[in-house]
Amino acid sequence: MNFDPKNYRIDASEKIRGEIRYTNDLKIPGLWQSITIRSPYPRAKILEIQFDSEFDWNTVTVVTASDIPNNYVAMLENDMPYLASKIVNYVGEPVALITAPDKNLLERASNFLHVIYEPLSYLTNMLDSEKSEVLIFSNNNIFKEIKIEKGDLEKIKQNNYKKVEIEVHTGFQEHLYLEPQCVIAIPEKDRVVIRGSLQCPYYVKNAVETMFDGKKHITVIHAPTGGAFGGKEDYPSLIAGHAALLAVKSGHPVAVTLDRFEDIQYTPKRHPSYHHEVAYVDKNGKIQGLEIQMYLNGGAYCTLSQVVLARAALTVTGCYYVPNVRIHAKAVATNIVPSGAFRGFGGPQAVFAIEMLMEKIACVLDLSPKKVREINLISKGQETATGQILKYSVSSQEVFEDVISRSDFDNKYRQYKEWNHPILEKLIEDRFPKNKNGGVLKGIGISASVHGAGFTGVGENKIKGVVRLELEQDGAITVYSAQTEMGQGQQTAFQKILSEALHIKRKQIKIAEVNTDVVPDSGPTVASRSTMVVGSLLVEAAKEIVEKLKLKLKNDFGVEFQYRQGYFYRDGHILSFTDAANEFGGFSVEKQYSHPSFIKFDETTWKGDAYPVFSWAAAVAEIEVDPITFQIKVTRYYTTHDIGKAINYDQAVAQIEGGSLQGIGYALYEKITEKDGLFDITGFSDYIIPSFMETPEFHIKILENPYPFGPFGAKGLGELPNVGSAPAIISALWMIFESEFNKIPVLPEDLHSIFLHINKRNYYES
Amino acid sequence: MKVSLQVNKKMVEIDVPPKKSLLDILRDDLGLIGTKKGCGKGECGACTVIFNGKRVNSCLVPALQLDGSKIITIEGLKNWSAFPMIEKAYIEHGAVQCGFCITGFVISTISLFVETSLPITNEQIKWSLGGNLCRCTGYTKIFEAVYDISNQIDTVQLIKRDWHNEFNN
Repeated sequence: MNFDPKNYRIDASEKIRGEIRYTNDLKIPGLWQSITIRSPYPRAKILEIQFDSEFDWNTVTVVTASDIPNNYVAMLENDMPYLASKIVNYVGEPVALITAPDKNLLERASNFLHVIYEPLSYLTNMLDSEKSEVLIFSNNNIFKEIKIEKGDLEKIKQNNYKKVEIEVHTGFQEHLYLEPQCVIAIPEKDRVVIRGSLQCPYYVKNAVETMFDGKKHITVIHAPTGGAFGGKEDYPSLIAGHAALLAVKSGHPVAVTLDRFEDIQYTPKRHPSYHHEVAYVDKNGKIQGLEIQMYLNGGAYCTLSQVVLARAALTVTGCYYVPNVRIHAKAVATNIVPSGAFRGFGGPQAVFAIEMLMEKIACVLDLSPKKVREINLISKGQETATGQILKYSVSSQEVFEDVISRSDFDNKYRQYKEWNHPILEKLIEDRFPKNKNGGVLKGIGISASVHGAGFTGVGENKIKGVVRLELEQDGAITVYSAQTEMGQGQQTAFQKILSEALHIKRKQIKIAEVNTDVVPDSGPTVASRSTMVVGSLLVEAAKEIVEKLKLKLKNDFGVEFQYRQGYFYRDGHILSFTDAANEFGGFSVEKQYSHPSFIKFDETTWKGDAYPVFSWAAAVAEIEVDPITFQIKVTRYYTTHDIGKAINYDQAVAQIEGGSLQGIGYALYEKITEKDGLFDITGFSDYIIPSFMETPEFHIKILENPYPFGPFGAKGLGELPNVGSAPAIISALWMIFESEFNKIPVLPEDLHSIFLHINKRNYYES
Repeated sequence: MKVSLQVNKKMVEIDVPPKKSLLDILRDDLGLIGTKKGCGKGECGACTVIFNGKRVNSCLVPALQLDGSKIITIEGLKNWSAFPMIEKAYIEHGAVQCGFCITGFVISTISLFVETSLPITNEQIKWSLGGNLCRCTGYTKIFEAVYDISNQIDTVQLIKRDWHNEFNN
């Protein structure tokens, strides 16, 4: 693939000029606004919904559970209602909807609608969930349980290996896409057209058609989406249903737009997690056995928790080879906003936990954290926890070595230790500095991370995505797929893949609007799969276009043509792709995905090839800790990613920078405290995402170890950068304080209280 | 209340509730949808516009402050003679991803060059754009774009001239 720096994004200009139309920029005549009446309780019985007769209810339209043909959001378990009917299970759960032509009327109406509740006891701690008398899901509150076992752990336990143990906790994380959730539903005779900010148009179509019991045709049209990061994977199916119900009942187009407060309070977050990990290691730090218990807090309804858990469980051994392993993972229910998809999808939690175990092993055995990782890194030919033998595109060691040497890790590690020594000595004696003249504490940390590219297990074989290319007579090719652009650069990547595959100009490739009446279902835009899976289908389809044109040329000229560099040729005949299209264009080709046949996975035994291929990364984070305020700042961040092939190099680097920064937020800034099912956040001022001022100097490098079945060798990229950054940063805290850090986020106040604990303990020990 | 104001060099007269925000007026009443609503509380910077020569979060400016004011939004800015150079830098450095925050960044970029004299330090760039939040890019590409512009003396002079024409004529 040629590296052309002028391969700029196709959507950049209209975005900079403010001309692109996001959902709420659309001019829709007669559009009504809406309001959602939500539960104030984490769990309660709904006794009655009262309509105060002071208000003229003919001026608005109200929808409650009794209006809904099939009152469940069709997803994995169908346990989540569109509107609660008898019981509410989380604070913010939708109970009723109102739509009206203007906002004032809407607000007045909402003041006259009273829902009478009987509060019930509730459950918010995930570790209490299984044994709780509060039953939220099934008879044990377990959404999904996964057991993976390899080798003979019991035998390892009998041997004389050192036992190293750690408990790890990770918190919620909110996507905080800049554009809040929004959809618009437009009613027609037997049809509802939905336009919205969303990732997966066919998920929405399926859910809303199921809701209407198949009695309405649903057309979903994707609007340019102002960020998603997984947050617009499952949730739009809920609010699209709400908009459609209101639109059908009122007869008007209706917008459901969440304001920032509603969005940050009531939409899914990253699953909080708890891990208990026990490693059996030899004196060099090599892991002989590993036993892992993991819990994910799924919240009140299942949504995607089962598949998030699967990815977490399949990622929980990280980048390491472990000969004997037992994994026991559960996603459980609580009376909290349902957790959902978020970039990394269980991976960031799993990798954070195993990386903290690596730190602990280094600490207990007094080895360097780099060495402990090095000695355990998995390599080509070795077997994962599910028995998948890694046969190709394995770069765990290459990315690790590269980032260590580029960052000058070894020297800095030594220098910073020496530098910190006098500062720490004073701190330990409670002599806190009065100014910064003595300098700040400097840390350097590392992580190794991995992301299974594409759907987990047999997912791709269930979806069997389809794409269609149409060749016009002017030589233009239009791509029909359900993949959505939400900022990640999918449209530009598709254009580039096809122009490279056919050796034609980028501007000859058009991307069709994603409208479910027009585009085939190529699967959802999730799991870092668009470039790798759908991109490979595009290359296949492009080849078929060439074959078809060759056949037509043969029929016309009576001789076989070859295709090279954008030209068909044979002896004295040569004509460009466009020439051939002028003559024979006006047809389309369709391609359906099928997994390479040797990739096999058994979802009942959890054995086999969990992912067709893995993308690999390693990171080094340099941090500074202010010894007065305990503020932590990431100053430099190095990461090396193997993504098979960078389709658009520049934007691949941009993805890595953005994803890494989200991981920095996850580690150091983004804190949500839940109390009685309520979150303590209202917006950007109390949920802190990194700004320009918190952004480190990035040093990004991409390695290209090709995946034989990806387009030009490409593997998944989108999620990986988010997976390894939190553990690299917290590793730097271990390095400075030589003490255990097992919980994120770590805000200055958290670090200060951890420090006081270290201080005291060291005092008594000495 | 009736207010008359100048938006992108055009006089407009509108009748709006006194507490309605400039952001909502721009989007609902004047159809200027290039200015985005990310929070409505002055926290994210997506709705940044220039108000009487200063950049503001338009969601925090109520109608009752608007009479006689001069506003510049991205729709006005894109007609400036310096705009193509700013656009080029943003595109060539890959500074745009989902794009929801980006018009706010462009307005803040203009402000930076009007408020700060050359040479501009890295810290000044970061500080000046620190009120605009972005969740996609990791800011680095945006920094590179603005840094690039700061090295183009002609572009910076053009920005200042455009600014002068806007507010002094």
